[in-house]
Amino acid sequence: MEINIQKMNDIALCIIVGEININNSPELRKAFDELISADEKKVVVDFSGVPYADSSGLATLIEMFQRLQKIDGHLKLSHLDQKVKNIFEITKLTKLFEIYDTKQQAIEDFA
Amino acid sequence: MEIVKILPSRLDVLPDLLLEVSVQLKNYQISENDIFQIRSCLQEALVNAIKHGNNLKEDLSVTLRILAHPDSVEIEIEDQGSGFDLNSVEDPTRNENLCKLSGRGVFLIKEQMDKVEFLDGGCKLKMVKFFKKENA
Repeated sequence: MEINIQKMNDIALCIIVGEININNSPELRKAFDELISADEKKVVVDFSGVPYADSSGLATLIEMFQRLQKIDGHLKLSHLDQKVKNIFEITKLTKLFEIYDTKQQAIEDFA
Repeated sequence: MEIVKILPSRLDVLPDLLLEVSVQLKNYQISENDIFQIRSCLQEALVNAIKHGNNLKEDLSVTLRILAHPDSVEIEIEDQGSGFDLNSVEDPTRNENLCKLSGRGVFLIKEQMDKVEFLDGGCKLKMVKFFKKENA
Protein backbone atom coordinates (compact mmCIF):
# COMPACT_ATOMS: atom_id res chain seq x y z
CA MET A 1 0.00 0.00 0.00
CA GLU A 2 1.20 3.49 -0.87
CA ILE A 3 -0.16 6.62 0.76
CA ASN A 4 0.26 9.94 -1.02
CA ILE A 5 -0.88 13.07 0.78
CA GLN A 6 -1.52 16.28 -1.16
CA LYS A 7 -2.44 19.60 0.36
CA MET A 8 -5.10 21.64 -1.43
CA ASN A 9 -5.62 24.90 0.48
CA ASP A 10 -7.08 23.77 3.81
CA ILE A 11 -7.94 20.27 2.57
CA ALA A 12 -5.67 17.23 2.94
CA LEU A 13 -6.19 14.71 0.12
CA CYS A 14 -4.98 11.26 1.07
CA ILE A 15 -4.63 9.00 -1.98
CA ILE A 16 -4.23 5.30 -1.16
CA VAL A 17 -2.96 2.77 -3.68
CA GLY A 18 -3.20 -0.92 -2.81
CA GLU A 19 -5.34 -2.95 -0.47
CA ILE A 20 -5.87 -1.96 3.14
CA ASN A 21 -5.54 -4.90 5.49
CA ILE A 22 -4.44 -5.92 8.97
CA ASN A 23 -0.79 -6.04 7.89
CA ASN A 24 -0.62 -2.49 6.58
CA SER A 25 -3.38 -0.61 8.44
CA PRO A 26 -0.79 0.58 11.04
CA GLU A 27 0.88 2.52 8.17
CA LEU A 28 -2.44 4.19 7.42
CA ARG A 29 -2.94 4.99 11.12
CA LYS A 30 0.52 6.57 11.17
CA ALA A 31 -0.35 8.76 8.15
CA PHE A 32 -3.55 9.80 9.93
CA ASP A 33 -1.53 10.55 13.10
CA GLU A 34 0.58 12.96 11.06
CA LEU A 35 -2.51 14.70 9.66
CA ILE A 36 -3.92 15.13 13.18
CA SER A 37 -0.54 16.43 14.43
CA ALA A 38 -0.53 18.94 11.57
CA ASP A 39 -3.99 20.10 12.71
CA GLU A 40 -5.62 19.09 9.43
CA LYS A 41 -9.39 19.18 9.90
CA LYS A 42 -10.66 18.63 6.37
CA VAL A 43 -9.55 15.24 5.07
CA VAL A 44 -10.51 13.40 1.88
CA VAL A 45 -9.41 9.77 1.51
CA ASP A 46 -9.43 8.71 -2.14
CA PHE A 47 -10.05 4.99 -2.72
CA SER A 48 -9.67 4.92 -6.51
CA GLY A 49 -6.56 2.73 -6.15
CA VAL A 50 -7.94 0.48 -3.39
CA PRO A 51 -9.10 -2.95 -4.58
CA TYR A 52 -9.91 -4.32 -1.10
CA ALA A 53 -10.29 -3.24 2.53
CA ASP A 54 -10.68 -5.61 5.47
CA SER A 55 -12.32 -4.98 8.85
CA SER A 56 -9.01 -3.73 10.24
CA GLY A 57 -8.88 -1.10 7.49
CA LEU A 58 -12.47 -0.11 8.27
CA ALA A 59 -11.55 0.24 11.95
CA THR A 60 -8.64 2.54 11.07
CA LEU A 61 -11.00 4.78 9.08
CA ILE A 62 -13.57 4.82 11.90
CA GLU A 63 -10.84 5.78 14.36
CA MET A 64 -9.81 8.71 12.12
CA PHE A 65 -13.46 9.73 11.73
CA GLN A 66 -13.78 9.90 15.53
CA ARG A 67 -10.50 11.77 16.00
CA LEU A 68 -11.53 14.40 13.46
CA GLN A 69 -15.00 14.66 14.97
CA LYS A 70 -13.43 15.50 18.35
CA ILE A 71 -11.62 18.52 16.86
CA ASP A 72 -14.62 19.60 14.76
CA GLY A 73 -13.04 18.17 11.63
CA HIS A 74 -14.50 16.07 8.82
CA LEU A 75 -13.52 12.95 6.89
CA LYS A 76 -14.87 12.28 3.41
CA LEU A 77 -14.22 9.21 1.24
CA SER A 78 -14.16 9.19 -2.55
CA HIS A 79 -14.13 6.93 -5.60
CA LEU A 80 -14.79 3.55 -3.98
CA ASP A 81 -14.72 0.49 -6.24
CA GLN A 82 -18.22 -1.06 -6.18
CA LYS A 83 -16.98 -4.24 -4.46
CA VAL A 84 -15.27 -2.17 -1.75
CA LYS A 85 -18.36 0.02 -1.45
CA ASN A 86 -20.38 -3.16 -0.87
CA ILE A 87 -18.28 -3.80 2.26
CA PHE A 88 -19.28 -0.35 3.53
CA GLU A 89 -22.91 -1.03 2.61
CA ILE A 90 -23.00 -4.48 4.30
CA THR A 91 -21.56 -3.02 7.50
CA LYS A 92 -23.83 0.07 7.24
CA LEU A 93 -20.77 2.32 7.41
CA THR A 94 -22.39 4.30 4.61
CA LYS A 95 -24.41 5.82 7.47
CA LEU A 96 -21.21 7.02 9.15
CA PHE A 97 -19.05 8.15 6.24
CA GLU A 98 -19.77 10.73 3.56
CA ILE A 99 -18.92 8.90 0.33
CA TYR A 100 -18.49 10.69 -3.01
CA ASP A 101 -18.12 9.33 -6.54
CA THR A 102 -14.99 11.40 -7.20
CA LYS A 103 -12.35 13.21 -5.17
CA GLN A 104 -13.29 16.44 -6.94
CA GLN A 105 -16.84 16.15 -5.61
CA ALA A 106 -15.57 15.51 -2.07
CA ILE A 107 -13.20 18.48 -2.26
CA GLU A 108 -15.88 20.77 -3.71
CA ASP A 109 -18.26 19.79 -0.92
CA PHE A 110 -15.77 21.17 1.62
CA ALA A 111 -15.83 24.55 -0.12
CA MET B 1 -9.78 -28.20 -6.38
CA GLU B 2 -8.75 -29.07 -2.87
CA ILE B 3 -6.33 -27.05 -0.79
CA VAL B 4 -5.18 -28.14 2.66
CA LYS B 5 -2.71 -25.95 4.54
CA ILE B 6 -1.31 -25.99 8.04
CA LEU B 7 -0.47 -22.36 8.72
CA PRO B 8 1.72 -20.83 11.41
CA SER B 9 0.01 -18.20 13.57
CA ARG B 10 1.52 -15.31 11.64
CA LEU B 11 -0.45 -12.65 9.79
CA ASP B 12 2.29 -12.12 7.21
CA VAL B 13 1.48 -15.48 5.59
CA LEU B 14 -1.95 -14.23 4.50
CA PRO B 15 -1.23 -12.09 1.38
CA ASP B 16 0.49 -14.88 -0.59
CA LEU B 17 -2.04 -17.47 0.55
CA LEU B 18 -5.04 -15.34 -0.40
CA LEU B 19 -3.49 -14.54 -3.78
CA GLU B 20 -2.95 -18.26 -4.43
CA VAL B 21 -6.56 -19.11 -3.56
CA SER B 22 -7.93 -16.24 -5.69
CA VAL B 23 -5.86 -17.39 -8.70
CA GLN B 24 -7.06 -20.98 -8.31
CA LEU B 25 -10.71 -19.91 -8.01
CA LYS B 26 -10.41 -18.06 -11.32
CA ASN B 27 -10.19 -21.49 -12.99
CA TYR B 28 -13.88 -21.90 -12.13
CA GLN B 29 -16.78 -20.00 -13.64
CA ILE B 30 -17.01 -17.65 -10.71
CA SER B 31 -17.86 -13.97 -10.86
CA GLU B 32 -15.30 -11.40 -9.76
CA ASN B 33 -17.71 -10.42 -7.00
CA ASP B 34 -17.90 -13.98 -5.63
CA ILE B 35 -14.09 -14.26 -5.65
CA PHE B 36 -13.88 -10.92 -3.84
CA GLN B 37 -16.36 -12.06 -1.18
CA ILE B 38 -14.68 -15.46 -0.67
CA ARG B 39 -11.33 -13.72 -0.33
CA SER B 40 -12.83 -11.22 2.13
CA CYS B 41 -14.28 -14.01 4.29
CA LEU B 42 -11.03 -16.00 4.18
CA GLN B 43 -9.09 -12.93 5.31
CA GLU B 44 -11.47 -12.18 8.19
CA ALA B 45 -11.71 -15.82 9.31
CA LEU B 46 -7.95 -16.45 9.15
CA VAL B 47 -7.19 -13.21 11.03
CA ASN B 48 -9.68 -14.27 13.72
CA ALA B 49 -8.11 -17.73 13.98
CA ILE B 50 -4.50 -16.47 14.05
CA LYS B 51 -4.97 -13.34 16.16
CA HIS B 52 -7.92 -14.05 18.43
CA GLY B 53 -7.96 -17.88 18.40
CA ASN B 54 -4.26 -18.65 18.67
CA ASN B 55 -3.25 -15.25 20.10
CA LEU B 56 -0.43 -15.03 17.52
CA LYS B 57 1.42 -17.86 19.30
CA GLU B 58 3.73 -19.21 16.64
CA ASP B 59 3.80 -22.70 18.16
CA LEU B 60 0.07 -22.98 17.48
CA SER B 61 -1.23 -23.60 13.98
CA VAL B 62 -4.32 -22.95 11.93
CA THR B 63 -5.65 -25.63 9.59
CA LEU B 64 -7.29 -24.44 6.38
CA ARG B 65 -9.25 -26.74 4.07
CA ILE B 66 -10.81 -25.46 0.86
CA LEU B 67 -12.87 -27.72 -1.38
CA ALA B 68 -14.19 -26.20 -4.60
CA HIS B 69 -17.09 -27.80 -6.47
CA PRO B 70 -18.47 -26.68 -9.85
CA ASP B 71 -21.15 -24.60 -8.11
CA SER B 72 -19.78 -23.85 -4.64
CA VAL B 73 -16.80 -23.69 -2.35
CA GLU B 74 -16.58 -25.19 1.15
CA ILE B 75 -14.06 -23.74 3.59
CA GLU B 76 -13.02 -25.02 7.03
CA ILE B 77 -10.70 -23.10 9.34
CA GLU B 78 -9.64 -24.56 12.66
CA ASP B 79 -7.47 -22.93 15.30
CA GLN B 80 -5.98 -24.29 18.54
CA GLY B 81 -7.33 -21.60 20.84
CA SER B 82 -9.95 -21.78 23.56
CA GLY B 83 -12.84 -20.84 21.26
CA PHE B 84 -15.21 -17.94 21.52
CA ASP B 85 -18.86 -17.25 22.16
CA LEU B 86 -20.54 -16.18 18.93
CA ASN B 87 -23.30 -14.56 20.96
CA SER B 88 -20.75 -12.16 22.46
CA VAL B 89 -20.36 -10.46 19.07
CA GLU B 90 -22.70 -7.48 18.90
CA ASP B 91 -24.40 -6.43 15.67
CA PRO B 92 -21.98 -3.80 14.28
CA THR B 93 -24.69 -2.28 12.09
CA ARG B 94 -26.77 -1.03 15.02
CA ASN B 95 -26.45 2.75 15.32
CA GLU B 96 -24.89 2.51 18.78
CA ASN B 97 -22.19 0.15 17.45
CA LEU B 98 -21.28 1.92 14.21
CA CYS B 99 -18.24 3.61 15.77
CA LYS B 100 -16.94 0.47 17.51
CA LEU B 101 -13.60 -0.63 16.18
CA SER B 102 -14.18 -4.40 16.38
CA GLY B 103 -16.87 -6.97 15.64
CA ARG B 104 -17.12 -6.58 11.86
CA GLY B 105 -15.07 -9.63 10.79
CA VAL B 106 -17.60 -12.29 11.85
CA PHE B 107 -20.45 -10.11 10.58
CA LEU B 108 -18.84 -9.81 7.12
CA ILE B 109 -18.42 -13.60 7.01
CA LYS B 110 -22.07 -14.23 7.92
CA GLU B 111 -23.30 -11.68 5.37
CA GLN B 112 -21.11 -12.76 2.44
CA MET B 113 -21.25 -16.54 2.82
CA ASP B 114 -24.36 -18.67 2.24
CA LYS B 115 -23.80 -21.11 5.15
CA VAL B 116 -21.74 -20.41 8.28
CA GLU B 117 -21.28 -22.74 11.27
CA PHE B 118 -19.04 -22.34 14.31
CA LEU B 119 -18.16 -25.71 15.84
CA ASP B 120 -16.05 -27.03 18.72
CA GLY B 121 -16.76 -24.05 20.93
CA GLY B 122 -15.85 -21.61 18.16
CA CYS B 123 -12.44 -23.14 17.30
CA LYS B 124 -13.69 -24.43 13.97
CA LEU B 125 -15.49 -22.42 11.31
CA LYS B 126 -17.24 -24.07 8.37
CA MET B 127 -18.55 -21.85 5.60
CA VAL B 128 -20.02 -22.40 2.15
CA LYS B 129 -20.49 -20.04 -0.79
CA PHE B 130 -22.66 -20.95 -3.77
CA PHE B 131 -21.39 -19.34 -6.97
CA LYS B 132 -23.45 -16.93 -8.98
CA LYS B 133 -22.47 -17.68 -12.57
CA GLU B 134 -21.14 -14.75 -14.60
CA ASN B 135 -23.81 -13.13 -16.76
CA ALA B 136 -26.46 -15.04 -14.80
